[in-house]
Amino acid sequence: MAALSAATAIIAVVVPFAAGLSVLGTVPMGLLAYRYRLRVLIAATVAGGVIAFLIAGMGGFMTVVNCAYVGGLTGIVKRRGRGAPTAFAAGVVAGFVFGLLGTGALLVLSRLRNLVFDSMTANVNGLAAVLNRIPGLETVAVRLKSDFATILDYWPVLIIGSSILSITMVTMIGWWALSRVLSRLLGVPDVHKLDVIDGTGPAAPVPARLRDVTFRYPGATHDSLGPVSLDVAEGEHLAVTGANGSGKTTLMLLLAGRTPTSGTIERPGVVGLGRPGGTAVVMQHPESQVLGTRVADDVVWGLPPGAQTDVPRLLAEVGLDGLAERDTGGLSGGELQRLAVAAALAREPSLMIADEITSMVDQQGRDDLISVLSGLTQRHRMSLVHITHYNDEADTADRTVNLTGNGGTADNVEMVATAPAPKANGAVTHAGAPLLELHGVGHEYGSGTPWASTALSDIDLVVNEGDGLLIHGLNGSGKSTLAWIMAGLLEPTTGTALLDGKPVADQVGAVAISFQAARLQLMRGRVDLEIASAAGLDYHDHSQIVRALGMVGLDPALGLRRIDQLSGGQMRRVVLAGLLARRPRAIILDEPLAGLDAASQRGLLQVLVDLRRDSGLTVVVISHDFHGLEELCPRTLHLRGGAIAAAPTTTTGGLS
Amino acid sequence: MTAPAGRQRRPVVLLRPVPGNTVVHRLWAGTKLIVVAGIGVLLTYYPGWIPIGLVAVLVLVTARLANVSRGALPSVPRWMWGLVFLGCLTATFAGGSPEFTIGSVTVGFGGALNFLRITVLSIVLLGLGALVSWTTNVAEIAPAVAKLGRPLRRLRIPVDDWAVALALALRAFPMLIDEFRILFAARRLRPRDDVTRPVRGHRWSTELVDLLAAAITVALRRADEMGDAITARGGAGQISAQPSRPKWPDAVAFAIVLAMCGLSVYVEVFTPLATS
Repeated sequence: MAALSAATAIIAVVVPFAAGLSVLGTVPMGLLAYRYRLRVLIAATVAGGVIAFLIAGMGGFMTVVNCAYVGGLTGIVKRRGRGAPTAFAAGVVAGFVFGLLGTGALLVLSRLRNLVFDSMTANVNGLAAVLNRIPGLETVAVRLKSDFATILDYWPVLIIGSSILSITMVTMIGWWALSRVLSRLLGVPDVHKLDVIDGTGPAAPVPARLRDVTFRYPGATHDSLGPVSLDVAEGEHLAVTGANGSGKTTLMLLLAGRTPTSGTIERPGVVGLGRPGGTAVVMQHPESQVLGTRVADDVVWGLPPGAQTDVPRLLAEVGLDGLAERDTGGLSGGELQRLAVAAALAREPSLMIADEITSMVDQQGRDDLISVLSGLTQRHRMSLVHITHYNDEADTADRTVNLTGNGGTADNVEMVATAPAPKANGAVTHAGAPLLELHGVGHEYGSGTPWASTALSDIDLVVNEGDGLLIHGLNGSGKSTLAWIMAGLLEPTTGTALLDGKPVADQVGAVAISFQAARLQLMRGRVDLEIASAAGLDYHDHSQIVRALGMVGLDPALGLRRIDQLSGGQMRRVVLAGLLARRPRAIILDEPLAGLDAASQRGLLQVLVDLRRDSGLTVVVISHDFHGLEELCPRTLHLRGGAIAAAPTTTTGGLS
Repeated sequence: MTAPAGRQRRPVVLLRPVPGNTVVHRLWAGTKLIVVAGIGVLLTYYPGWIPIGLVAVLVLVTARLANVSRGALPSVPRWMWGLVFLGCLTATFAGGSPEFTIGSVTVGFGGALNFLRITVLSIVLLGLGALVSWTTNVAEIAPAVAKLGRPLRRLRIPVDDWAVALALALRAFPMLIDEFRILFAARRLRPRDDVTRPVRGHRWSTELVDLLAAAITVALRRADEMGDAITARGGAGQISAQPSRPKWPDAVAFAIVLAMCGLSVYVEVFTPLATS
């Protein structure tokens, strides 16, 4: 249900965009109607309609309603398993109904009708008057004028006819696109994890006793966890460590209420997920955790109506005091996660599970979060289970449990270490010829509007051929903007960004860039198609694709794998393969290691180091982390507040 | 106010209020929604010069009160001006009842006036909607919709579900915009090879489906994660920390708008000032 409402809401956002793209706004709506009930479609229409109304007024609202109507129709036809003829017939009927409605509306709104028709007549008559002056076209002019007048006389027919025509067309286009999109979406795995499995009765998740517990996902060939025996005592701070694939997340699911495949879990009461006195879970992705638009709203989001909460106290506890009125959109990853902790605390849980909450957060944010977590069990009557793959984070816990995994990924046993910031050594330049030159580059978003904000100012930077440069900065330091400018995707508002002496913005694609969200860069359904398309290769020429895959250390057999079945690390490598096969002059990597476990990080780094050494590839890494990047990037540049800073940025500040 | 070199275009900024805390900013979001809807209805029934003029005055005065500077307006692309000019020109050639004679040339402005009226009408309606998004914090919209829709609950319409969906949609909006921005950037980075003509249409359509599938995949993934977060909080419930309700400035605003609507209807129905 929860996933459903989220899906509804988010699909609703897609609609206005898809509608803007072309007539494809029907597709997301069709998807909703195909998958869920009519009620969901209506909720999505309302949400999408209000947003479209806020953006584009009544016209936007009507567009969304139209899309919902046509898309819902195609989706339902699809769900019932009918074919294109049914969709066509439905389109004709829908067009007729819409035409009737439109005619009825115009009958009532006679003044608006007169105005629209008069205005159209004026334009046509004007055109006719012009044509009339041109020798030889007099008859055309007369015909135009009289024919248009005749058409307007029969305006209801005109409107119904055009409505049938256009709606049938839109329906068929939507039908076609929906069929294609649905077949593509078949392979998209359902990544949602939590389910409400709850009996009635008082919530009392701790003390929990797990005895010989194993868990196997439906359809899997081996157990994801166990057998594990474990106690979670009341009021204790327990750290659970282990590499990716060792079953950490599965353990979280079991503690949050999933039934184990074998073994027993004893608790004094029910799990009570999200209920007062029950279990609270904070998860990995900072942005998806936070559901409110305003900080204070997020703390209370989802609490039962009428529940009273001391929002300022909770915010003060996680170090966000005074930010209650702020928009959550402007918070950094670390702040968002602390906010998620505050929202969890608002439920006064007996058990809080923090599942890798620091893995997408920069060093400073990580330190702040850990200091918030470490005091929780003293201040509240609750147990804390902290799942992490950073070994130093486990140190603050009362007790550490190390999951060793279950054979499948046994080589991933080591933990990620965090590294101290190296000194800035931007002055040391490489011997190669200058490749990318930035002179006095500054960038301002929304220039000239009341929302103008400066992201970068006065950046001077030269990247030489074969260079390995790390651009380090925290959230909001402007490093992503700098990356976009260096790749030519943004034109700086001041200064120049040159590649080989010519503006980079005129040579988009010459500098490759890999974004942090690798999934966004993968557009085709299958690995080999993706690489062929990204690199401009002929996908029948298999050897080139094999070579591209080999370059990033991927097995050629992976070429036939569907994109959505890849792991995070594999996705990143596939992106790299596609980019590198085009032989770019330089490659920019935005947070290449974020969200990867130790082994994947090491593997990816090795690939990059080898490439740079052997083929002289110029590498620019944008990151808030330093660990392991020393070899790849001998040169480091610190960015702070949109300007180049001399000193490392992590040593300052901290949570008081 | 002068932009450097004047060639930089002002972008369209969506769903972000103009910084400030004026009377207009403090009005209840529900008031603004009702006013916009009401005026929309008025103008579709009586799109005469006087109602349009009154609403235009309202828009301008509100904008002044809310400290919305001209910079908030996005730049209008040049072809749009061209289109309006062309439309106006052809409409002028049609002539029409108010005619002016300059020397020996008689020009009728009836057609042009009609065209102008419909253009101004669209601009005024767009401006009205824009004012709402420029002065309202998005966090206030969903609670206001929930409150406005409360009477519908008696008809067993799931207004609260709608409000939750709307709140989540507004929360997801900036995140998805960012993701779509990256999606389009990633597409720009790809080589665009020249394909032979019959294949091009096919290539274009696959690309469109690819883009759409990628966008929907991203949205669904985000939805799954947010769904988990909702489950972890025990389902939907409250959506706002501070209950908001209309106060006396809202009553004043309503009174002004009602008076204006009344005047417009009176003029249009009972007086010779009405526009045809």
